[in-house]
Amino acid sequence: MEIRIKEVSKYYYSEGKTIKALDKVSLTIPSNQIFTLLGPSGCGKTTLLRCIVGLETPDSGEIIIGDEIVWSGKNGINIPTEKRGLAMVFQTYAIWPHMNVYNNVAYPLQIQKIPKEEIRKKVEKTLRFVKLEGFEKRPATNISGGQQQRVALARALVAEPKVILFDEPLSNLDAKLREETRKELRSFLSKLQITAVYVTHDQIEALALSDIIAVMHSGHIVEIGSPREIYFNANHQFVADFIGRANLFKAVVKAQEHDKTIVSSDIGTFVCQKREFPVESKVILCIRPEFIYLKKDRITEEETTGEQNVISGQIDNLIFIGEAYEGEVRIGKEHLMVKLDPETSLKKGDTVNLVVSSNHCLLVSA
Amino acid sequence: MKRDSRLTIILIIIVGFLTVCPVIMLVFGSFSEGLSAFGKFTLEKYIAAYTDPELPKIISNTVIFVLGAALVATILALFLAYLNNRTDIPGKFLFKVISITPMMIPHILFSVSWVLLLNPSNGILNLILKQFFGLENSPFNIYSLWGMILVEGLLDMPIAYLIIAPAMASFDVNLEESSRVCGAGIGQTLAKITLPVLRPAILAAFILCIVRCMASFAVPSVIGMPGRIYVLATHIYQTISVGFAVDYGKAAAIGMSVLVISITLIFLYRYLTSESEKYVTISSRGYHPTIIKLKKAKIPLFFILGLLLFILIALPVLVLIYTSLVPYSMVPSAKAFSMMSLRHWNAVIKDPISILSLKNSLFLGIFGATVGVILSLFVAYTIVRIRTKMSGILESLSFLSFSFPGIVIGIGFMWFFVRTPIYATIWTLLIGYIATYLPYGIRPLSSAFVQIHRHLEESSKVCGAGPLTTMWRIIIPLLVPGIVSGWILMATMFLRELSLSVVLSRPGSEVLAVQILRFSGDGLWGRLSALGIIMIVISTTLVALVSFIGAKLQPAIK
Repeated sequence: MEIRIKEVSKYYYSEGKTIKALDKVSLTIPSNQIFTLLGPSGCGKTTLLRCIVGLETPDSGEIIIGDEIVWSGKNGINIPTEKRGLAMVFQTYAIWPHMNVYNNVAYPLQIQKIPKEEIRKKVEKTLRFVKLEGFEKRPATNISGGQQQRVALARALVAEPKVILFDEPLSNLDAKLREETRKELRSFLSKLQITAVYVTHDQIEALALSDIIAVMHSGHIVEIGSPREIYFNANHQFVADFIGRANLFKAVVKAQEHDKTIVSSDIGTFVCQKREFPVESKVILCIRPEFIYLKKDRITEEETTGEQNVISGQIDNLIFIGEAYEGEVRIGKEHLMVKLDPETSLKKGDTVNLVVSSNHCLLVSA
Repeated sequence: MKRDSRLTIILIIIVGFLTVCPVIMLVFGSFSEGLSAFGKFTLEKYIAAYTDPELPKIISNTVIFVLGAALVATILALFLAYLNNRTDIPGKFLFKVISITPMMIPHILFSVSWVLLLNPSNGILNLILKQFFGLENSPFNIYSLWGMILVEGLLDMPIAYLIIAPAMASFDVNLEESSRVCGAGIGQTLAKITLPVLRPAILAAFILCIVRCMASFAVPSVIGMPGRIYVLATHIYQTISVGFAVDYGKAAAIGMSVLVISITLIFLYRYLTSESEKYVTISSRGYHPTIIKLKKAKIPLFFILGLLLFILIALPVLVLIYTSLVPYSMVPSAKAFSMMSLRHWNAVIKDPISILSLKNSLFLGIFGATVGVILSLFVAYTIVRIRTKMSGILESLSFLSFSFPGIVIGIGFMWFFVRTPIYATIWTLLIGYIATYLPYGIRPLSSAFVQIHRHLEESSKVCGAGPLTTMWRIIIPLLVPGIVSGWILMATMFLRELSLSVVLSRPGSEVLAVQILRFSGDGLWGRLSALGIIMIVISTTLVALVSFIGAKLQPAIK
């Protein structure tokens, strides 16, 4: 089911100040996709999710789920949460401690007054789906965090909703379990015909799980795109900086070629991915550490094609983090974050050549 | 949202009516001529009240009594809380007993049992000591300021303990450990780190004790009045009940200053408790406080703990049982045991007023606590969940009655009810009790609400359940512990209520504590003890029964 959000605003008032949690947000969430709202805490992503499910009331705008207007400021429509027919997995899982696993999962069906036998079948099927068969009689508080998470998922799926909402469901799990559960969730969701709206502040989670990502920042949607688009072709400094890590430099557009843009910056002249900025306009040059190659040797002729940018600098700092070295290279007065092979022979103080392909030099508006 | 603000307004009206009305009546009454609250305006009552030549003595008695008892209670509580949380003293379950038993033993009975033990003419302990040492005069006289301070201090100690112990338990032990690392010893750390960090909690406990002592009526009436030691509470009581010139206005005029001091202190208490919650840092990691090994001090300290328990629980009950069986006060001996009989019990059972007061108190306890808990449930929900400016007003209003000295507020209620048809019926008591003890129901319920994560409710709504289904299937089952403890607190308090009842109770609406006070005034110790034991058995049974039902209702939650 498609979800359309039209100019939804939500303000909070605290200590005389108005906080715009949502500022005229418009958005269409296509059906049967995993759609992620990604952003730092306080960006309004959870507020938006809670407006969709009806736990929060917007101040203005319209929310349409499928063909039904569930909230409209001007028409005074406000379908209560319980009548919206959605499902949600909460950050805290919200497993009811006074019920066992079976009753937690069966609850949505019991509310619908479905015959008991049918409930039993559906609950069994759903528990099998989330790999929790045999846990029916367990008190819901007496299982591990990962299992609780799956109980919450089973409860959300059991009534076969058209839309399922996730509010940072993995943030209470430890790092290893989070990774596993993420993969599992992806495979569960891809087996179902369901629209999933997923809220997270974790960019890796968003990249790994989503079909589409919407990056939010202080009450606005900044950018929407597939994980690859967001990662490689961000249009905004905020997005480039928030997704992964990025070196950002002020630059000025010097020339526009047919498939490249040339800029000059404090760390030298760069050939970049084509972006339609006027010549002499100010832009931000964005280079991700993982796309900078370090070479101690002289650069050979083949490597200095027009596609490559080469600059030289001195290694200021190297930190071993296991899977790689994180380094800082000084170029003039500027510093550049780089990522090195964990078996590198380079060390602090070495003078190195940095090679960056023009495809990985991204320009965003200043 | 609309539904929520309508609920808030309705509750503000109800709670406002319960707490503000008696105060307003009291103000009007204190400025009014004659016996009613709406007579001609006059300052006479204030002039009469505050030019009374006896007043300076009464005030100095009150100050000594209140501060002394609060100090005894707080120091004892601090000592016990430290022993329980921070040392390896054996028998830790006993501390739980200390914190809940005062609910079972009414204050008036506790006071009476000490009178029976230590009164100068025939106190059992005095008689024993005289016989043993061949003394001329009784060594102890309970009818003194010291006696009052000691008994009141023991009575209020559990209240102070209930405030200090949780603060002590949630104290982040890293604060102490870092002091030790910095080179301070155990004693220095205690003085420089532990006690200062706990200061808001300790002060809060002390202030609450002051308010309670000021409102206390059982000890001043049973122990103070026979010794002609009057404090403000008994002075007010005398003004409205003894002699020919009953003067409610004058009593209200004195009561006003007690009320103003109490309200000020209670709001100071509230500020301090919110401070202490800020102060005490609860670490999210599982924490193990460093336990101090008592070594040689273990046995003597455990002995002191045992002695306290004996004094607080066993002794009063034993004294009452003994007194209910012997014909008159005598030293326990073979002769005394041979003279034991059930004649006091028979007298009580055949006394129609005792039976009536038993029925009334039971009704007030069970029905009153039920109504009180239902009201508290809605108020707690509004305070914790709705959280608007309006619900803040509701919170302050409901907190107000925490400070009400029963005997003072009782006069306000009397003036109010005298204009209604329910005056002099049991319903006046019911409404007065609920108004005065509302915070005791709200407190456990609101902390239970705080513990139920908002998501648990919300996920039920998302699953398609309406507000009523969510209430019935999710909220109520999770609230059972809060409901049970709120109900127990209210029921036991209603069952033993004295200070409000002495003002509002009329022929036909007698209650247990008032009947016991009457027996004590007449010196009918045997009957008093028999009725007292019945009272203790009833409250204990109620507590046990309701705890049992509560445990049955929610098997899944630990």
